[in-house]
Amino acid sequence: MKTFYALVFLFSVYLSTAQNTVSGIVVDEKNKPVAGANVFIDGTYDGSTSDEKGNFSFTTEAKGNQILVISYLAFETLKIAVDVANCKGKTFKLKESVNTLDAVVVTAGTFSAGEKSRVSVLKPLDIVTTAGSAGNIIAALQTLPGTQTVGEDGRLFVRGGEADETQTFVDGIRVAQPYGASTNNVPTRGRFSPFLFSGIAFSTGGYSAEYGEALSSVLLLNTQDEADQNKTDISLMTVGLGLSNTQKWQKSSLSVNTAYIDLAAYQKAIPQNVDWNRPYQSLSGETVYRYSLNNGIFKFYAAFDAARFDLNQEDINQPEKVRVNLNNNNFYLNTSYKGNFSGGWQLFTGLSYGYGQNKVDLNTNRLNNAEQASHMKLKLTKKLSERVKLNFGSDYFITRFDEDYNTAFNSGYDAVIAAVYAEADIFFSKNFAAKVGVRASNNNYIDQNSFSPRASVAYKVSKNSQFSFAYGNFEQAPKQEYLKYSNDFKTEKASHYILNYQYVKKNRTLRTELYLKKYSDLVKYDTDGAQYNSQFNNNGTGFAKGLDVFWRDGNSIKNLEYWISYSYIDSKRNYKNYVAEVTPGFVSTHSLSLVTKYWISDWKSQIGFTHQFNSGRPYNNPNETAFMNGKTKLYNSLSFNWAYLLSQQKILYFSVSNILGTQNVFGYEYAKTPNSNGVYDRREIAPTADRFFFVGFFWTISDNKKDNQLKNL
Amino acid sequence: MKTIITAFTLFICSLVTAQGQYEQGMGKAMLLWKEGKTEDATAMFERIASAEKSNWLPNYYVGMVNVTASFNPVNKEKVPAMLDKAQSAIDNAGLLSPNNPEIMVLQAMLYTALIVQDPMTNGMKYSGKTMEQYYKALAIAPENPRVVFCKADFEINSARWTGADTKPLCEQVAKSIDLFAKFKPESAFHPNWGLERAEQTLKNCK
Repeated sequence: MKTFYALVFLFSVYLSTAQNTVSGIVVDEKNKPVAGANVFIDGTYDGSTSDEKGNFSFTTEAKGNQILVISYLAFETLKIAVDVANCKGKTFKLKESVNTLDAVVVTAGTFSAGEKSRVSVLKPLDIVTTAGSAGNIIAALQTLPGTQTVGEDGRLFVRGGEADETQTFVDGIRVAQPYGASTNNVPTRGRFSPFLFSGIAFSTGGYSAEYGEALSSVLLLNTQDEADQNKTDISLMTVGLGLSNTQKWQKSSLSVNTAYIDLAAYQKAIPQNVDWNRPYQSLSGETVYRYSLNNGIFKFYAAFDAARFDLNQEDINQPEKVRVNLNNNNFYLNTSYKGNFSGGWQLFTGLSYGYGQNKVDLNTNRLNNAEQASHMKLKLTKKLSERVKLNFGSDYFITRFDEDYNTAFNSGYDAVIAAVYAEADIFFSKNFAAKVGVRASNNNYIDQNSFSPRASVAYKVSKNSQFSFAYGNFEQAPKQEYLKYSNDFKTEKASHYILNYQYVKKNRTLRTELYLKKYSDLVKYDTDGAQYNSQFNNNGTGFAKGLDVFWRDGNSIKNLEYWISYSYIDSKRNYKNYVAEVTPGFVSTHSLSLVTKYWISDWKSQIGFTHQFNSGRPYNNPNETAFMNGKTKLYNSLSFNWAYLLSQQKILYFSVSNILGTQNVFGYEYAKTPNSNGVYDRREIAPTADRFFFVGFFWTISDNKKDNQLKNL
Repeated sequence: MKTIITAFTLFICSLVTAQGQYEQGMGKAMLLWKEGKTEDATAMFERIASAEKSNWLPNYYVGMVNVTASFNPVNKEKVPAMLDKAQSAIDNAGLLSPNNPEIMVLQAMLYTALIVQDPMTNGMKYSGKTMEQYYKALAIAPENPRVVFCKADFEINSARWTGADTKPLCEQVAKSIDLFAKFKPESAFHPNWGLERAEQTLKNCK
């Protein structure tokens, strides 16, 4: 009997301890009930799901103080200490997660392509499957609004800015020599093969305080964190050969990519408007090594490029052609480490070294130059909360440049730029975010300090659309061509004001941007070109204002992706040796590009067209009294490409630029002195070839038979 | 003495209840999932995961429920959030049970879901990663029917637009059906799905 009582007693104790009711209501920030939230006591089975009205109630065996967990898709998980005996009818407020796909993003100024970017206007593949780009990252970016097509140069000209106003960064570290070797009026290409990059962000203004020494634009290229698999890629092209190999291990991977390009055979088959003695020839290679640590990643990137060509170039001021024989060697190395630490800290540190050497024979004269450039960077990020992130860091740029002409006339400089910056990323809500920062730098060579505040805000007005506004001051040391002759300069300055509207729905994107850019302290000089006896000053001014429109649609017609870019720009400058504030020669008032990509399953083919129009560009005609009063005719180019899957891993690729053979003119070169009739003669600056044909065969060898090089085309 | 025995009995009872709680919980969650109550099933599996800190199965099912639900067009709006949830559950499961071929198959299915979402963007990128998971799983467990079947199934689907020969792939599906017959799961809640789909796929092969 005693035992029986004991049993009943113990049993009832056992039962009674099991009963504690926990109840409450789950709401969002607007006090609206959240249905379907998972509410439970951490470490137990006890919990339930909130109902339509946000109510929940459950019983638990747990006693005393416990952690109550409330989680729901797209909300921040709430963990809160409660006393289970005493937790009834309470209201719990969930905050919307700002890390969701539909949260607002500060987009003013930036085009991004990459899997991590939440508002990709471009996809990584686009960079390389755009007709006419021929694997050149820069050429693909020139189909975006805000850029100018300057066909005789090949570099990126952004919103009335010169090409060197754009800085290129690989994994956050500056690349001092991003373009291949070239000479007057022969276009260059970007040095980087798209092969090794997984993310590209191209900012046409208003960028973060993290980036300095750029007046107009930054191009951010990020190498892959992780290789996909072991594989070998072989490319056979009408212009050369390529070979690459990737090896992947447990924690690390190595990719090596080499290419040999020789235009000699192509030149024999299809003569160009260039009088070559030795057509362009280059040997290049890139390698990336990645090592994953427990809480971070180490990357090593190195690239070399040796190129040469020899040609006879017409010059309106010389009776005979000028022979230009150029040898260029370039080496670039970049190492970086990124690690996550406790307390919400992230550390990034990196170092780059670039060496670019040119030997140029101009008839019997020889020009030698060499640039060594290094960038050291340290960046710390502290996550103060889910909604506030603080970034700060420092940059140290060292540049050494030496040049001699016939081993006599020496010029050059050593410059060190030290900079610090701090920036905060703040989410006020899922619909309202801001980025506020400041950057300060010192250039010891020209003895100048600069201070640049930057700010941007974004506000989401509806499910699919948002506005962003960005403001910032940007500074850059004058370019090498001036610095080598003098150090009596100020830094050149620009301020940007950008208003951006973006609409994204399904596979459709509309992006429009209004901007105003003001330049001050631009370099001026009093001679024909910048030279050793020029008198320099910083009295130059300029502005650019305009509208950029981008529309992309991958939804309306099956298997068709297309985008349309339109830019209107009004830009004037009084710089260099200009006598008035006028529109410079690289600016077309209207630019329009149409890019299409069509997949035809039956043919296993992707066919693409790119059509570009630019209104005429100004040039100075010394036969007229008005300065820079000439206008070239409309530029028009239609390019085509066709990628055919021979089998899953073999691709045949064909492309032709300017199919219609339009005779485009970029500008005119005038004689410095009038002829016997008192007229200044001129010659056209035209493309090096009316059309460019390209045929390639690309073969991927891997265990996984799915992969191919379509993404590299 | 009797009291001690009683107490001991009760202690055992409570242990059994705890054990029973796991079985009960998993059973209930499975039932919710079968009834199509994705959110409730996910919530239940999450609670079990929070209590059973060293068992990979509840996390595996959080991933499984969300990955399979993402293929359902009804959930189109929620897919990115679902796949986010699934990915973090798969990561947790993988930490508890490294080199587990069942988790690799689930990871491969998540990649496949991403490809289905946006073939133009994700096709090229994730098909390599998908196959990598299958190759890794195959090296560890060549006799696991889900590894053999899912790999073949994925390749058959890609063959549809690459035009590759599906005959050897169909043979693999047939092989997986034999393996399903031999397969013995470790417990009632260990993964044991796939036979019906394999039979269906084989039917379509011919």
